[in-house]
Amino acid sequence: MAETKEKSLSDEKPKPRVRPIVRLGIFLISHSFHVSVVCCTAGVLALFLLPVLAKNTYISENALMPGSASPMLSNQHVSDGNRLVKDLTNPNSKSSETGIESHKIIAQYMLDLGAEVSFHKFHPQMNQFHPLHFFSSPDSGKIQENYSCSSYGINTVGIIRAPHGDGKEAIVLVTPYNALKSGFGEALSLGIAYSVFSLLTQVTWLAKDIIWLVADSQYGEYAAVAAWLREYQTPKFSSLSTPNAEMCPDVNNLFELKGHSISGSKFSNSFRRAGTMASALVLKVRDQNEQFEDTISIYAEASNGQMPNLDLINVVNYLAVHRQGLRVNVEKLWSLLNSSWLKSLGEIFESLAKVAKSLYPKWKFGIPATEYVEGTATLASSLYYQALGVPTGPHGAFRDYQVDAITLEISPKFSLDKVWRNDILLRGGRLIEGVIRSVNNLLEKFHQSFFLYLLTSPSKFVSVGVYMIAFAFLIAPLPMVAASLYVDANSSSNCSKGDSSTPSAITDTDEHSIAIRSWRWLNSAKLVFIVHLWGAIVSLLPYFISQIPDCSPTTSFMIWVLLSILSLLTLNSVLASPLACAKATQEKEWALVKSVTISSVFIGLGLMSVINFATAEIGALLMVPMCLLAQPLKLDVRAGTLRSFCRMICNLVLGHIAFPPAALFLLKGMLDGFGNANVGDFWMWVESLWAWNSATYLFIVEVTYIFSHG
Amino acid sequence: MEKVKKKIGSFSFWNWVTASIIFRLILIYFPKNLNLSSRPEVSTPLTSFRRLAEGYWLKQSFMSPYAGSMYHGSPLLLSLLGPLTINRIEGQPNHLLYSLVSVIADVVSAMLIRATGQNLRLAYLRSLESLDLVKQIEVSGDIAALIYLCNPFTIVACVGLSTSPIENMAVILCLYGACSRLIPLAAFGWVIATHLSLYPAILIIPVIFLLGCGPDSPPRKLFLQRHQQKEVLNQSKLPPRFSWGPVIHFAFWAFLWSVYVLVLCGISLKQFGGLWEMFKSTYGFILTVEDLSPNIGVLWYFFAEVFEFFRNFFLIVFHVNILFMILPLAIRLRHRPCYLAFVYVAICSMLKSYPSVGDSALYLGLLGWFVNELADMQFSLFLFCGYVGVSLLSPVMHNLWIWRGTGNANFYFATAMVYACLQIVLVVEGVSAMLNHDRKLRNLITGKPQDAKS
Repeated sequence: MAETKEKSLSDEKPKPRVRPIVRLGIFLISHSFHVSVVCCTAGVLALFLLPVLAKNTYISENALMPGSASPMLSNQHVSDGNRLVKDLTNPNSKSSETGIESHKIIAQYMLDLGAEVSFHKFHPQMNQFHPLHFFSSPDSGKIQENYSCSSYGINTVGIIRAPHGDGKEAIVLVTPYNALKSGFGEALSLGIAYSVFSLLTQVTWLAKDIIWLVADSQYGEYAAVAAWLREYQTPKFSSLSTPNAEMCPDVNNLFELKGHSISGSKFSNSFRRAGTMASALVLKVRDQNEQFEDTISIYAEASNGQMPNLDLINVVNYLAVHRQGLRVNVEKLWSLLNSSWLKSLGEIFESLAKVAKSLYPKWKFGIPATEYVEGTATLASSLYYQALGVPTGPHGAFRDYQVDAITLEISPKFSLDKVWRNDILLRGGRLIEGVIRSVNNLLEKFHQSFFLYLLTSPSKFVSVGVYMIAFAFLIAPLPMVAASLYVDANSSSNCSKGDSSTPSAITDTDEHSIAIRSWRWLNSAKLVFIVHLWGAIVSLLPYFISQIPDCSPTTSFMIWVLLSILSLLTLNSVLASPLACAKATQEKEWALVKSVTISSVFIGLGLMSVINFATAEIGALLMVPMCLLAQPLKLDVRAGTLRSFCRMICNLVLGHIAFPPAALFLLKGMLDGFGNANVGDFWMWVESLWAWNSATYLFIVEVTYIFSHG
Repeated sequence: MEKVKKKIGSFSFWNWVTASIIFRLILIYFPKNLNLSSRPEVSTPLTSFRRLAEGYWLKQSFMSPYAGSMYHGSPLLLSLLGPLTINRIEGQPNHLLYSLVSVIADVVSAMLIRATGQNLRLAYLRSLESLDLVKQIEVSGDIAALIYLCNPFTIVACVGLSTSPIENMAVILCLYGACSRLIPLAAFGWVIATHLSLYPAILIIPVIFLLGCGPDSPPRKLFLQRHQQKEVLNQSKLPPRFSWGPVIHFAFWAFLWSVYVLVLCGISLKQFGGLWEMFKSTYGFILTVEDLSPNIGVLWYFFAEVFEFFRNFFLIVFHVNILFMILPLAIRLRHRPCYLAFVYVAICSMLKSYPSVGDSALYLGLLGWFVNELADMQFSLFLFCGYVGVSLLSPVMHNLWIWRGTGNANFYFATAMVYACLQIVLVVEGVSAMLNHDRKLRNLITGKPQDAKS
């Protein structure tokens, strides 16, 4: 709407009496250069201010009541867990090649506790990216035809039915476990889960079913969890379409053994389900650790920059810090921690805060410089992982089904002492127990707290309302500059018309020029559309290339480059023929093209900020200066002044900086895209492509202008 | 020279038509992946394909098609299109036949738009001639037809298996009949359009103007002024006065057709409650806004929030909103009935209870008729960007709300509000551009300088 006003007033001649808001609009448009510089600087500055503006987290859902009950996990349960760890690490259990033995042991342990147990067999699914998947619902997993018996994984699933529950809800506990080459850490995580599980079979307060999923991580943790979830959420009704893993003798063997040894028990061959999932915890124990404290790392980023509800992180953080005395960590960009410029920036902010405080004692917004540096490092990694869109752990699979999940990685100070082992089992177990008990109290889904936030430390966050300000500052110049360019282009044509036409000669040519005037942008819109179309084609090409069998990444990359150039040429010849007519007026036209381009970039960035804020922010940081500086090179060369020369250099540099990342990104995408990228990964690629396309097309627009003027 | 240009123009016109048909056919082969027929933007309770299939199934099993508040369309549609919902060809997409019908409906609409546009252009040229203004004008019919065919909204509505292509075709048929003075056809189009979706009923006003005074022309006053200047009153060059003959003729035919349609509906619903049942669950459903599932309109959100005892009051307020605008617009734009029809269609698609993108496709197509008159329209770039932005943002917000769970209904409703605002801006700017155009013509005739406008 602001744009409307701006445009409206500048289309009309300035009258003696204008309303203040109109005058403001005129002012903004006429000074768009200064305003955009100020806005961009403010945007970048606000981004750096975010760690200062971060608020302390608080538990927003009252029903959670973390830590209000004293933990019930006793040494008895810990010794149970210890027993499982011993059995699993026992070399005898690893005799079998497929690691079935250890799964049997786990299943046996679960059965002994009185849980319902089932095995879930899955085939590691190469997650293929489908170009049209964006429109369909997330659960439309494709069933592949060619399964082989050689590669399959087995998830062991144990379910405790809640004594007070109605079986409509469940909490999931996931422990990734690779039976073939399991480290001690994995066995320990199983031990912790088992001790909690054994406690939960006895407690009376349980209102939600507990599902313990031992995910077979030999094909990757994410794939196993995703396969189980797909099966859980999309039941298959026809027996024909089920993957025929049952045909494989090995698996049947497993079932027979089980059925034989424990007949009439709660073991079942079919897939077992509990209720809808309230939340999920993924538990891991790291094998080696350099730290001197028991720390626990929280990984929360799911696919596409989605985050679990902040309350879940709050509960874990609260229980770990205040009840179990563990140190809580979230991912940081370690390289930033030692950067001196960041430290000096932090000191500047600190001293500024001191000055402010001395002026007015109630202003307390400063944080110490070291804290600022840490906060920035955390924020940067938070932004980075959200922008990347690749989930940081198996919890990412849950978020696709709207289940809040996080991964907890316990990294104990390492020693082989038995006391130490019991201690970590007890504390880890109590932490898990506390979280489960809190979630168990929930009456509805997690909905109270934030979904859109950035963490600056485990107990500090920046909410959407704050970080959007930085982004808004950053992209505010775009519509303004677009409007001013548009107005300039229109008014210049008006002027020329006014010169040429004498009052008596109101002829048809005059009419015609009027007719063109307000729709003249259509030509430039067509150009921009063609470039966008090309970008879309280029971004869809990898899918088709990946269908070609036996292709090394380099050759497929070459094919990709060739095909994209080819498609550009065809598009140009098929669609762009009208452009040739417009060539004569192109000198003036570029302003319109730039205006249309900038508005489309604005739309794109706005859209992206809704989908994935971090990508939009990083994209905006790169693209906004480029959009604002873009200028046909020929004009600059012709002008020959120092200023235009500088601008030309800036253009070239920015154009190259922004373009190679696309190429680099995609090269990387191709390299691991053919290996084991997941849907989230590819989604990200498409999305980053959508963002990058606009960068590329700007570049290309520039290039076309170089050509057309040269 | 001009002939050659025209030839090239028509050649590329047919190229574009073929390209758009091929594009549709390609999209029809990916129905599963696109999943368009379940998008709220495309299929409303009135136009949804699934509901049509359900109604047909109910009817086949000797139940009232309106049972269970699933189907709310016409019973005629059920007998005509119903069989296509279950007919399948082996190895082809499921609803190929039905999709082909929509594609054909789209193409027929485009051709009718083109013919009407040519009519309008001729009339415009004639009136300019009689005003002694020579002007080179665009071939508005081709442009309008291409806008209609290549509009993403039309394509989405067509591929998304909604019934709006057929409703749009009825509206266009009505306007075409009125423009080319085929009175029975106009009456048929009007009756069918009204029968299918109720709102086109208000198109009777432009149709009466069309039949009474002929297609769009500058205001009658201008001609009189012109001839006063010349001091020769050439009656033959004046536009005809309002004549009641065709209007009465139209009324007769409209009556005949509506009786015919009602009898047909009555026959097909004989054992299921008869016509009353039909009126209750089609027009009643439209007017009482029973279904509050989200769509791109603004009414669902409002009626989900409003207190029950105010509901009737607000229902009246919202529907009278449309009726309020009829009279002033009819008075102001009476010399341009086709443009009046466009404005009515746009207002309806903004304020109707279950809007879909198919409605926008219709009025955007009709907008193409007036490229010459609206050349001076302001905010064209802004409106274009707005439409692009909203049509991209709306699915994203829906995804955020329904699938990801991070957003809520307000997110989606915000885009619906922006969309409504855009439509308002479009209508306001369009009408003011048209009035400016008339003013400019007047200035050209009276020889006043251009700046005297406003």
